[in-house]
Amino acid sequence: MSADRSRRPLTAWAFLAPYAVAVGLLIALPALLNVGYAFTDHTGLTRDPQFVGFANVRRMVADGFLLDSVEASAVHVALAVPLRLLAAVGLGLLLAAPRPGGRWFRVAVYLPTVVPDVALAVLFLWVLNPLYGPLNQVLGLVGHPGFTWLSDPGTARVAVALMLVFPIGEGFLVVLAARRLLDGRLYEAAALEGCGPFGQLRRLTLPLLAPVLLLLAVRDTILTLQVNFVPAYVLTDGRPANATLYLPVYIFDQAFEFSGFAYGALITTVLMVVTAVVIAALLLAVRRWRVLR
Amino acid sequence: MGERGAVRLESLTRSYGRVVALNGVDLEVRAGELLTLVGPSGSGKSTILRLVAGLDRPDGGRILVDGQDVARIPPHRRAVAMVFQDYALYPHLTVLANLTFGLRVRRVRRQEAERRARAAADRLGIGELLDRYPDQTSGGQRQRVALARALLREPTVYLLDEPLASLDAPLRFATRAELITLHRELGTTTVHVTHDQAEAMTLGDRVAVLDRGRVRQVGPPQQVYDEPADVFVAGFLGSPPMNLVPGGGVLGGADDVTVGVRPEDLALDPDGPVGAAVEAVEALGSETILLTRCPDGTRLTVRTGPRPGVRPGDEVRLRADPGRLHRFDTASGRRLR
Repeated sequence: MSADRSRRPLTAWAFLAPYAVAVGLLIALPALLNVGYAFTDHTGLTRDPQFVGFANVRRMVADGFLLDSVEASAVHVALAVPLRLLAAVGLGLLLAAPRPGGRWFRVAVYLPTVVPDVALAVLFLWVLNPLYGPLNQVLGLVGHPGFTWLSDPGTARVAVALMLVFPIGEGFLVVLAARRLLDGRLYEAAALEGCGPFGQLRRLTLPLLAPVLLLLAVRDTILTLQVNFVPAYVLTDGRPANATLYLPVYIFDQAFEFSGFAYGALITTVLMVVTAVVIAALLLAVRRWRVLR
Repeated sequence: MGERGAVRLESLTRSYGRVVALNGVDLEVRAGELLTLVGPSGSGKSTILRLVAGLDRPDGGRILVDGQDVARIPPHRRAVAMVFQDYALYPHLTVLANLTFGLRVRRVRRQEAERRARAAADRLGIGELLDRYPDQTSGGQRQRVALARALLREPTVYLLDEPLASLDAPLRFATRAELITLHRELGTTTVHVTHDQAEAMTLGDRVAVLDRGRVRQVGPPQQVYDEPADVFVAGFLGSPPMNLVPGGGVLGGADDVTVGVRPEDLALDPDGPVGAAVEAVEALGSETILLTRCPDGTRLTVRTGPRPGVRPGDEVRLRADPGRLHRFDTASGRRLR
């Protein structure tokens, strides 16, 4: 019996092992190597990279493009995360209640998530086309001349964020499921107290979903800092005027287009730090709301 | 207003799809009384509460509160407060915030709302719990929080949906007494729903027995117990239930009549007219329940004193108290005078 008990942790570790090995080999080790490469002159082509100390860091400090890139990423997160959350939460709450035809709306919301990024981006090239794209035509209906979406720095950023508002299926599903778990009687009790739909949203639904919303915000921040690569690559290739030169795009350019593998590694490290800082700020900001009591 | 707190239901109907929850309910709750709605699950008890509260709309019929038809009055304007079965406390709010929730929604100022909440909490003995969250309190405490929340609405009618169902037995016993005391102090009309017939007997001024969406009988508990209006009420109230024997059997009676006798009205008597074999003996300490079987196969339950000196397999003679026999029309199930 005691032998049985002492073997139990071992069994647990045995089951964990495949995952642990994969995480170690595919994530932790490359991340560490990445930090190491950042201080070499590795080009991705040379066989034995040499340690160059802080040469890359000095280059980075003087790199105006990197500043543009960090700014583009920051603006993108500030724009896309709230929009994506708003869409996922709004649609999730609207479509959580069972009503006739509801499932078709839910399918419609999820569908763009299934479409491959590149296909969605190509689709958006058409949507955003200033001459015959439907978006400008719709704007034309209300008398607006429309935008040259992808050739103006401001609207290009909006355009990328706009495209990323559609693949929100996972967040949508999480909100849908979380809302359905809430006790209907709480809403009846609130209705008896005279709490209308907006009062219920403000006083019940949002506070009760707060832990889930926080989870989604953190997850979406991480995701949003990275998934803008495909739309930026297909729609704008980092242009115009570096407006969409998001960190992943810049890293790709440096590492693989300019053969600056070591420099790319350094910026990747910067991306990780930026991500960590944004999430720490997020968690600090919500701490006073006592979401995670 | 002499009518204040009176509730009247007139031929109330409600169906959910093919399921008929209420099938023409007429019921009068007098001002200030504590009425218990009792019935098996699915009998429509909770539906009545939900309709009176305004959480649901009737298909037909009228609901009058204080003599006024409430059909067009939204739930929060009705002078009713409801205590839900599982209390429906807001899990993300402290007890204090749970209590002030409704007041704050109605734009009562925070200080005033908290003052009233503290008063209500003190009244129910939960003054020290105000800073806790619902999941940090016990079942009994939660029930008090729910009651305090109802108190704060200062309603003319309280609707209690199985308020004792989630409490364990000793606590339920104590809380039952407290509910009666509270009702006496407040003097406010209270409709209390339960499926527990013991609760129905002890708690209400009057009890209304429901079955399949209809009110079978309304009256003071003892009267309903002593003179059940039909076979259903006879079988539902009382534990163990009344013995019901077809006419011409061991309890006599005409062919088209069902004769009933409560277990406590059957006595062990060596000269008794009915012979039966004891199948099981349930000693409950203060009393004993005998499950017996007559030669013709009729099963009779007998309630007798402690230590009756009878064992399974024994033959006994039984005598029914002739003044306490109930006769029901077999076809309709109705009580015969």
